[in-house]
Amino acid sequence: MTSTNAVVLRDVTKRYNEIVAVNNINLTIPTGEIFALLGPNGSGKSTTLKMLLSLLQPTAGSINVLGIDVQKDPVAIKKQVGYVPEAPDVYEFLTGLEYLDFIGDIYSIPTAEKQKRINEYLKALQLEGREGDMINSYSDGMKKKISLISAFLHRPKLLILDEPLNALDPRSARIVKDYLFSLKQQGITTILSTHVLEIAEAVCDRIGIMYQGKILALGSMSELRQEASLPSSGLEEIFLKLTGTGDLKPVVEELLK
Amino acid sequence: MNWKNVLYLLRVERKSGRLLRGVKTTRYRERGIIAYWPYWVSAIIGISGGLIANFIVTAIYADATASTLLPPLSEATLSFFVSLPTLILILSVVLTMLQQIQLAGLKATKVVNYWLPITWQEHTLASILANLFGLPFATVIAFSFGTIVFAALNGLIFSALITTLALFGAAFMASATTEIVRVLQVRFTGAVYKSSGKAAVWVRFIGTLIFFLAFYIIYFSITQGTTQFIQGLAAAQNAVWFVPFVWLGVTLFYLLNGIVVEGVIFIALSALFITALYYLAIALNRRFGLYEPPAITVQTHGTVYKPKSGILGKLGFSSVEAALIRKDVRSFTRRRELISVFIIPIVFIILPIMQSLNITSNPDAPSQISAFFMGMVFLMPPAFMSMILGNMLIGEEGQAVWRIYASPISPKNLVKSKFFFQILFSVIILFITGTAGIIIYHPSIRIVIVAFLEGLFLILPLGSIGLTFGFKGADFSASRRARMIRQQWSLISLVVCFVAGVGILAPLLPYIINSFLPGFLISIPTSNLNLTISVVISGVIATVISAIFYKININSAAELIRKAEV
Repeated sequence: MTSTNAVVLRDVTKRYNEIVAVNNINLTIPTGEIFALLGPNGSGKSTTLKMLLSLLQPTAGSINVLGIDVQKDPVAIKKQVGYVPEAPDVYEFLTGLEYLDFIGDIYSIPTAEKQKRINEYLKALQLEGREGDMINSYSDGMKKKISLISAFLHRPKLLILDEPLNALDPRSARIVKDYLFSLKQQGITTILSTHVLEIAEAVCDRIGIMYQGKILALGSMSELRQEASLPSSGLEEIFLKLTGTGDLKPVVEELLK
Repeated sequence: MNWKNVLYLLRVERKSGRLLRGVKTTRYRERGIIAYWPYWVSAIIGISGGLIANFIVTAIYADATASTLLPPLSEATLSFFVSLPTLILILSVVLTMLQQIQLAGLKATKVVNYWLPITWQEHTLASILANLFGLPFATVIAFSFGTIVFAALNGLIFSALITTLALFGAAFMASATTEIVRVLQVRFTGAVYKSSGKAAVWVRFIGTLIFFLAFYIIYFSITQGTTQFIQGLAAAQNAVWFVPFVWLGVTLFYLLNGIVVEGVIFIALSALFITALYYLAIALNRRFGLYEPPAITVQTHGTVYKPKSGILGKLGFSSVEAALIRKDVRSFTRRRELISVFIIPIVFIILPIMQSLNITSNPDAPSQISAFFMGMVFLMPPAFMSMILGNMLIGEEGQAVWRIYASPISPKNLVKSKFFFQILFSVIILFITGTAGIIIYHPSIRIVIVAFLEGLFLILPLGSIGLTFGFKGADFSASRRARMIRQQWSLISLVVCFVAGVGILAPLLPYIINSFLPGFLISIPTSNLNLTISVVISGVIATVISAIFYKININSAAELIRKAEV
């Protein structure tokens, strides 16, 4: 079954006892869009992403990913999603090659195809020659590359990337950005969460700004400028204004005392 | 259930053994079939064991006199077979739990990548089977091969095959139990892991103590009385037939004695119980397997951060020293790999507890044994704790040692704070283990005072010596397992501490000798006054050793900080 919307959230709320992490959000992300979810720390971004992967159950509301209700068939969704966590949580006792091999097996990629894809990605992200080393000997950037390759390897329909370019060298970051654009042409949807606003501004079709569990603003850069009444500003100014953290001068002055 | 996923996960879990073995991380190559050597070797051991057992039994039964006194060979063999599932169950529980303890101390993790399309059923099954990798599975293989070989040579092959099936069932049952305990632990430790309040620290501390205490009591009960244990097992499991963990043994008892109906009922009950354990493990994994407390915290209304001088400031410590002490206290109450330090006093207490419960020794044992164990309870835990903390306290800085180099910390600050931390923890242990000693042995007030004083006299110098070698052998690497001190320096430290300990206790030797060999040192009167003098001399020796090594430590600290400038 194909769907015109990759992700649909309806009245979704997530509570941790008295804390409301996500507060009644509604969000629709069309297929083939690159969407950025921004927000200060603790604004509910990670909770939202985890609910998309069915790792957390919403307290109220419904979530539909790639036409599937996440609560009904989480494994079917995971098969079609590539996920990169913020911290590169991978099996550090495996070699890079063993880890990617394991990922390929889990997603049932035929052996020849799996080997071909692994070699291509290793070459593109300049990990060739280090694939036989254990991951715990890798730098943070190399671990992130392994994490990215494992998300791309099975050619997912939806990519959920939490700080995907953190720790990457400029060349690799550029490759990943270009690759995401190419995937978009193929109808692959990408949701990324980042604190680097330049990346969101440069890469994404639409941006959602979360604050205290709610989506404060949603739209393309021009729509966000309009909403914030900042016609010629960049995302940083818009973000600070919308999240009510714009007037930072007194904070800096206090620090200088 | 996707069986391929289970297989893939099992491969990953098997490879996690590298975490414990500490193999080299670059250019790593798996050595094919050699990687499975424990299982081949255990099969060979099992076959050899079966052959040897057959040789011995045949020789015994060949003797006409002996054979009339003994039960028929088939009866004796089947009785032994009946006890095997429960024996394997207990062994597997102990071994799989030990493995979990080892893995808990590692920096790297083998928690499944939660975003992959793997069901909880697949993950739980793989985890249960993987718990058995290594020694637990090797033990089952050895017993199975031994049983089959021995039975084949004595015409009991059918019984051996059923027994072997029961052994694998028992191992699975044990591993599922360990999995349940493991998940509950994840939930328990996860709940307090990110929490930093005083209550969380105590929950962690007391939780760890209770876990190890319970574990060691079971472990020592089994290892100290294996023979009686096996002998009584077949009879005991029939007496407690209502306990589901012995149902496999009861099943064998009925089947091997030809009581088919009851046998079939217990097969069904065993299968049901194993399934129930498996589903319980799945449910717990689903609920708590990925337990992560929410990252969101709510600030207490109106709270504004204010630096506190605290009790350490009032005790005369500078803010630098107080900060270092607070950091070390938090480190030792929050870091998983440092929890092993808490085991030391427990190990020293558990043996005397066993003794007092008449588990590890004969009740008719001479009273000197009690005196020896009482000495162990009072003196050994705090002395070892002090030395080991000294050994670890520098290396435990790990990769963050740059913070010491980069901060305005003087060598005196560093040594004073580390030394105080050692003494603080060790004195707490002295009071805990001392109280345990008083409860178990009811010594006189005089003995209690001397024991506490001598405990203190050991803590100070051994801590100082331990710290000296902690500086010399500091190991800051933490790629797989935080080692904290290089092995050779740890051994040297042990030897020097032993010599120093003997030196400090030397003035009390007449009293110790008189306790074990009354009348041997008749020429030295062991009066109260002489005892007081002996304790004072012991204290002077301890002070001198402490002062010398404290001075050495300040030089070592200066060298450590200077090295970073090069």
